[in-house]
Amino acid sequence: MSASVSRSYSGQRSTLAALRLSFFLFMADPQWLIPSMIAPVIFGIVSFELFRGYGAYYLTYAILGAGMMSMWGQTLYGSGWATGQDREFGTLEPTLQAPTPYLYVVLGRVIWNVVSGLLGGLIVYVVVVAFAGGPPALPDPLAFVVLFLFVMLTLAAVGVVFAAAYVYTRYAGFIQNIGEFAFYVGTGCMFPVVLLPFWTNPIALVFPPTWALDALRYACIPGYVGFSWGLWPDVLGAVATTSAYLLLAGSIFHRVERHVLEVGNLDHY
Amino acid sequence: MTLPSRDGPAIQVTDVRRTFESRKGFLFREKTRTEALKGVDLTVEREAIFGLLGPNGAGKTTLTKILSTLLLPTSGTALVLGHDVTRETDWLRPRMGLVLGGERGLYNRISGRENLRYFADLYGVPLTEREGRIREVLARVDLENAADRRVEEYSRGMKQKLHLARGILHRPEILFLDEPTIGLDPKSARETRKLIRSLVGDGVTIFLTTHYMFEAEELCPRLAILSKGRIVARDTVSGLRTLVGGDRTLEVEAYGFEDRELEVVRALPGVSKIVTEEFGPMTRLTLRVRTNETTVDQVRAVLPGHAELAVRERRTSLEDVYLDLVDEEVR
Repeated sequence: MSASVSRSYSGQRSTLAALRLSFFLFMADPQWLIPSMIAPVIFGIVSFELFRGYGAYYLTYAILGAGMMSMWGQTLYGSGWATGQDREFGTLEPTLQAPTPYLYVVLGRVIWNVVSGLLGGLIVYVVVVAFAGGPPALPDPLAFVVLFLFVMLTLAAVGVVFAAAYVYTRYAGFIQNIGEFAFYVGTGCMFPVVLLPFWTNPIALVFPPTWALDALRYACIPGYVGFSWGLWPDVLGAVATTSAYLLLAGSIFHRVERHVLEVGNLDHY
Repeated sequence: MTLPSRDGPAIQVTDVRRTFESRKGFLFREKTRTEALKGVDLTVEREAIFGLLGPNGAGKTTLTKILSTLLLPTSGTALVLGHDVTRETDWLRPRMGLVLGGERGLYNRISGRENLRYFADLYGVPLTEREGRIREVLARVDLENAADRRVEEYSRGMKQKLHLARGILHRPEILFLDEPTIGLDPKSARETRKLIRSLVGDGVTIFLTTHYMFEAEELCPRLAILSKGRIVARDTVSGLRTLVGGDRTLEVEAYGFEDRELEVVRALPGVSKIVTEEFGPMTRLTLRVRTNETTVDQVRAVLPGHAELAVRERRTSLEDVYLDLVDEEVR
């Protein structure tokens, strides 16, 4: 039986497998319609009404605010939650027992969450444009798209770290639930960080999305004054913090896996 | 990744201990330590089915998880295919299959085939072989017709078959089966046992835990009994019978026995053990007797005066052996 066995896994293939699995699980579970399809419509309407009339670029603020609100949950929360789901299903044990490092599986799950988060962002855009009767004035549409995707990447990087917490303990969801709105406000998802009390800024700067969102606002709102010195310092800050998070994820996944094998809590849910 | 399996036994466990810690309370947390394995030594030869018997909570699943790299031992060493389960997981995992079974451990909202596809990718089953291999294992566990149905529509037995299909999908050299027939109806359990037997013919070493005696007796040429975290016996089934004092069991029933009579019975040739049980007004003596010693007639002869004396002879079952050994350990 062992004669023709393959002894090597491919990280890329495992990531694609996890991406495909996430897609099938998403399609098989109608509850996802609410955060991914219905919530963005509501966020878009609320955000449009909230920002309406506040300056020439209120539409951009409305799209960014609501878009981030629907995307951060889908991308960041969803990424951690997917691992929590593996705990609940009892699939975390066979997945960790497979030769592929679990980080590749998490990456696949996160990529799916980025894709579904983008869908939410697109819905917000369509809703706000429909209510406003036209698209926002974007000085550089290409920069908007590129930086929008970049923001998703930074959210995904945080999501990967959150996923490690779900491997570590079944109580990660509890911790994430406590921190999610603080994170949402603190990273400037809804409105710029500079509007927050100064003491919150150092905390906010630890999170990659804070930098990326600030860069996005610099790129698409002329005259915007963020916490940084402009677009490129923000991009550099986002690249540095995202890289740090991905390095951290690579390192802590190994340690977390070792920890759960020591503690023996993989089947707890 | 191309290193051959080292020679020697499939499994070699030396003084493996495992302690679990848990905490109770909210503000004032109290730490509790449970010693699940208390120094296990075990050797399992290749290409055979080895059974690990034990009552609930004996440590069977803990040992299985340690051997399949899902749990670290607190101390001691465990080698599988000659490789250390704590340090050589990259080498070992592609060569191992694990079936923990039960209702969990599968993605219920997708099809059985899609479950297998996912794990085939994680185990690196070559893409060109993947679909063929999935068809092959589905046929082997008789799930071809249900392969494209959602797993949530499967019966318990079908889920167990899917667990098994996943366990053998990547052609492991060693397969760990933790209570593979628990909760299955007799027909599904029989089919599962048939499948397990057929795997040995493929050159797979199988490490099976169970608390079904007949299953162990039917499947496992060699087995060990684990009780309260310790191996209390390890041998063939007939070797274990000898260990508990005889391959024959005589059951003697009457309305009570005097102490003097018990002494006489105990003194009969080949009688190694007597267990006394009361049931209603009757008393049953269960005697373990070595081959060709003390017959039913001899027992009747030394117990005159019992109008309702019944003496039956049967082969000492694995269950008798198990209960004798586990009871001794408990005492």
